[in-house]
Amino acid sequence: MLNFLRRYGTLIGFAAILIFFWASLPDTFMTARNWLNISQQMSMLIVVAAGMTIVMVMGDFDLSVGSMASLAGIVVAILFTQDYPIWAAVSLALLVGLIGGAINGGLIAFVGILPFVATLATLAMLSGAAFVVSGGKTISGRAIPEEFGNFARGGIPLGEWSGVAVSLPNLTLVALVVALLVWMLLEQTTFGRRLYAIGGNIEAAHLSGVAVRKLKLIAFALTGSTAALAGIMYASRVASANPTQGSGLMLNAIAAVFLGSTLSEHGEPRLLYTIVGVLVLGVLDNGLTQMNVDSYVRQILVGGIIILAVSTSSLTKGLRSR
Amino acid sequence: MTLLTLKDVTKAYAGVPALRGVDLSVAPGEIHALMGENGAGKSTLIKILAGVVSPDRAEIRLDGQPIEIGSPRRAHALGLRFIHQEFNVVPALSVAENIFMGRRYPRRAGVFVDWKRLNLAARETLEKLGITHIDPAQALGSLTLGDQMLVRISSAFIGEEGTPARLYVLDEPTAALSASEAERLFAVLRQLRTSGASVLYVSHRLDEVMAICDMATVMRDGRSIDTGKIADITHDDLVALMIGRRVEEAYPPVKAPPQSEIVLSVKGLPVLTGPPISFAVQAGEVLGIAGVANSGQGELLRKLFGDAPSPAGTLSLSGQNYRPRSPADAWRAGVAYIPRERRSEGLIVSRPIFENTTLPHLAAQSRWTVFLAPRREKRLAGEQGQSVRLKASSQNQRVRELSGGNQQKVVFAKALLGKPRLLLLDEPTRGVDVGAKFDIYTIIRDMTAQGMGVILVSSDLPELLGMSDRIAIMRDGAITEIVAAKGLNEERLLNLCYGRATG
Repeated sequence: MLNFLRRYGTLIGFAAILIFFWASLPDTFMTARNWLNISQQMSMLIVVAAGMTIVMVMGDFDLSVGSMASLAGIVVAILFTQDYPIWAAVSLALLVGLIGGAINGGLIAFVGILPFVATLATLAMLSGAAFVVSGGKTISGRAIPEEFGNFARGGIPLGEWSGVAVSLPNLTLVALVVALLVWMLLEQTTFGRRLYAIGGNIEAAHLSGVAVRKLKLIAFALTGSTAALAGIMYASRVASANPTQGSGLMLNAIAAVFLGSTLSEHGEPRLLYTIVGVLVLGVLDNGLTQMNVDSYVRQILVGGIIILAVSTSSLTKGLRSR
Repeated sequence: MTLLTLKDVTKAYAGVPALRGVDLSVAPGEIHALMGENGAGKSTLIKILAGVVSPDRAEIRLDGQPIEIGSPRRAHALGLRFIHQEFNVVPALSVAENIFMGRRYPRRAGVFVDWKRLNLAARETLEKLGITHIDPAQALGSLTLGDQMLVRISSAFIGEEGTPARLYVLDEPTAALSASEAERLFAVLRQLRTSGASVLYVSHRLDEVMAICDMATVMRDGRSIDTGKIADITHDDLVALMIGRRVEEAYPPVKAPPQSEIVLSVKGLPVLTGPPISFAVQAGEVLGIAGVANSGQGELLRKLFGDAPSPAGTLSLSGQNYRPRSPADAWRAGVAYIPRERRSEGLIVSRPIFENTTLPHLAAQSRWTVFLAPRREKRLAGEQGQSVRLKASSQNQRVRELSGGNQQKVVFAKALLGKPRLLLLDEPTRGVDVGAKFDIYTIIRDMTAQGMGVILVSSDLPELLGMSDRIAIMRDGAITEIVAAKGLNEERLLNLCYGRATG
């Protein structure tokens, strides 16, 4: 019974939230259009949370993803003002993410700084860089190419749903592709297996021939890249960039991975469960917004839910071991 | 007259019986051995005594009075003291602080800790155990594992007002101790016995039990099988009681003699601060390494394994130059290593058996070195598991759920999967029960018969004598001597380790 609660508590809670919103918002909540909307709202968080899962599998985390996303958005927008083509601007912004992440990884794996300290420092630096590069202003308007903004607004038509045309948003598609790639990486490759080994016991992994430092560096570089991608997606969605627009992503991404890991049998982060974690946060956000609940109250609720889920999981675990 | 009596102690976890009716009685001033293989129920019984686990049914009497234990605090108030295998210590604090942890430190003006008195009290406590080489002001983490254990033990021996200690429960106390450190502990135990306290002594090491215990109770499958005076029982009887059958020989016979071919040759390798070491290991040979604790045995293995790369010295493996810069290099060259600390260095206990087994060989066992092939992995890991007599319900089982002996077999399966040429063993049977020990010795014999070279570091002298072809003696990072194991006995080997002249 306790074990059941530990394992499925988060899912039961999720179901309860769904039923509550469905009953409260009978006309708008459980519709294809709303769900596609949720998927689009959540697409950036899915990408960042997927990247966060990569490092959290090793027992580390990355606090700098939010400011990395902001910086990448700024970089893309600045390059547009310099008349760079879209593909070049996007590639360069992704490269910034890769390098920033690799710096995190280098500090942690080769210099030996704790992830908390190293990524807290890069959080501050990246955020400062975003302000410096942008001059503290929002970059928008004519400088941003129309195709760039249109990408986020577009999608693949899925046909009609009770008389309304619905389509799969491009951003959702990007998020799904990233999720699939990260899932493959973590669950289907030797790289992922080794990351889980590091997370389980770093010394035993090292003595078993796992190149711990190299893998950590690569993992953090990947996390940095996903953060940058999310920043670019965000810039596309609002057709502008400002130096703080990624700031909410980090806490939500870590929360999603934690929420998800309460679902896995042994408490380790896994990508599919992270997606469930993102969905819980996304549905909550969507439903409460529709019910006109103040966004600050929403924050309190989200924090409470994380504490509830993680404490149910750890309390029942504690009881079981006795 | 008995001090502590347990009758019909029964406990099941989630319907799986761990204890099916255990009887045990300990007399005052007695060292009583509690023996049994891993999984026999010793730990559960001790947890019940410590008040950590509550029994389903039990009759417990202290001085003839029925008692309920219920909580660790109550156990302590009743005069029960526990010294566990895993120590609860804070490495960053000083020896004195650790000894007096959880107790009131001496104060000045009621507020400030009186460090001088604290250190003095710690020194006295240590001296009572005959330990004079440890400075109480030193950080605990800077001590060797063996010394840390001695500190941990001494802390349980502090006299307290109000609750005199009646019974000390020691769970595998010598697992991390060298022979001389263990001797020191035994002297303390004998001293305690003279003072009227009793000791419940849990150990796998039969020789120890035979040497210091008065009585022994043997457990098997959650039952107490037999209790008797140590004086009336033989080594072989005890083993037979523990595993429920008779073992003819403690060490399996050699299947094939060493071959002339050299597997590993070491020239001029510095270890610790000693002079450069040179030696060679033949194919099919077990080279034992003996010596008092921290003579450089562990570091030698780590250098051979690439974990502590050394610029000096020349290594060659089957005639080819061998210069490992990481464990990954060593695995690739066909060198496998079984580390001393099974749980912290050998295994990822939160992961399934097959993932542990294939981890060092993952590149070879995957498609294009990138994509996992779990079905093939499970088949290979399963076959290797069978060859080391691993008992597990499935390859998906988490290593955490296995007994100590089976965990060690997973470590062996992992080491042997890549068919290594050289196997480095650091205390391979530590904390392993008698049955699994024999299995492990059999595996080593099988491997040497196939031409593998083995280096065996062990503090278990009978094991070294029983398994090695030659034994190298290490002292202060140097190999002082390499002798044939045949014709050597424990006493002579011990004398060689201490550098004493032998008669």
